[in-house]
Order: sequence, then C-alpha cells, then structure tokens
Amino acid sequence: VVDQIRLWQIEGERMKPTVGYLFKDFASGQEYEGICKYAEEVGVLVWKNDAKRMFFVTRVEQVKKFLENKAKSAAAGANGG
Amino acid sequence: MPKAVKGVLVECDESIRAIILKIDAVNHDFIIEDLDDRTLVVKETKLPELKRRLEEELRDTQDEPKDSGSERD
Repeated sequence: VVDQIRLWQIEGERMKPTVGYLFKDFASGQEYEGICKYAEEVGVLVWKNDAKRMFFVTRVEQVKKFLENKAKSAAAGANGG
Repeated sequence: MPKAVKGVLVECDESIRAIILKIDAVNHDFIIEDLDDRTLVVKETKLPELKRRLEEELRDTQDEPKDSGSERD
C-alpha cells in the first residue's frame, strides 16, 4: 500500500509527464519566435526556452500546417507570385 | 526547417531529474533531450519503465539507507 501511495506521489507531485512534440533546430531566432508565438496562440504550447530555441507542444497538427503554409508562401514569393 | 520530435515532457524537481539522469546513464535509451534542471523530454515508449525504475530507486534510497557497494542490474 505504501508503494502505491508513493507511485501516486511521483506522478502527482514530483513528476508531471506531458505527451507531445519537442520542436528544435530552428534556422534563426526569428523563425523560432514566429512559430513559438503561433503555438502559444493556438493553445498547444506547454514549455519553451528562448535561449535554446526549443519549445514543447501537446499537439503538432496546427503547427505543422503553419510551417507548411509558411514554406509555401516563401516559395511563392521566390517565384514571383 | 525545424525538427519535431515525439516524446514526453517531464517536469519534475531536481532530485527526480538527477535520478532519471542516473537511470539513463546506463544505456542512454530514455532521454531524448535534457532541457533544464527541472525539465526533460523522454521516449514515450520508455515512460512506464522509467516510472518503475524511478520507483525502485526511491524505494532503495528511502527504505534501506545502506551504503552504496551493492550495485545491481
């Protein structure tokens, strides 16, 4: 019984696990800022570190879409429209 | 293009993190990224095993205050 209680203690107080995705390896601080801000706006951001340029999100779909759209518009811009 | 790595963000106190680092040090197969002194990202598939190992470590340190001479696998 004591062991069971301790298990609860680990999970409940001493350790909080959150399943999701870690984003890293951003090309620039500007790229990091933009995507991190978007993740925060859509409410999926749970952790970030500006110095390391890394952040953690609970859901990846919206952020991936955002990245794809960004890449598309960048490509369109490079092609002149 | 940034990378997105699937995993479990573990927010814990520093003593728990120290134990997780110790567990990972054996085979380096739990931790994906060591973020700061209270935050780690670990492999999702290894989380149940990590919890179990953590539990063992805590039990060992709390129940038997024996000096460390008996390392076991």
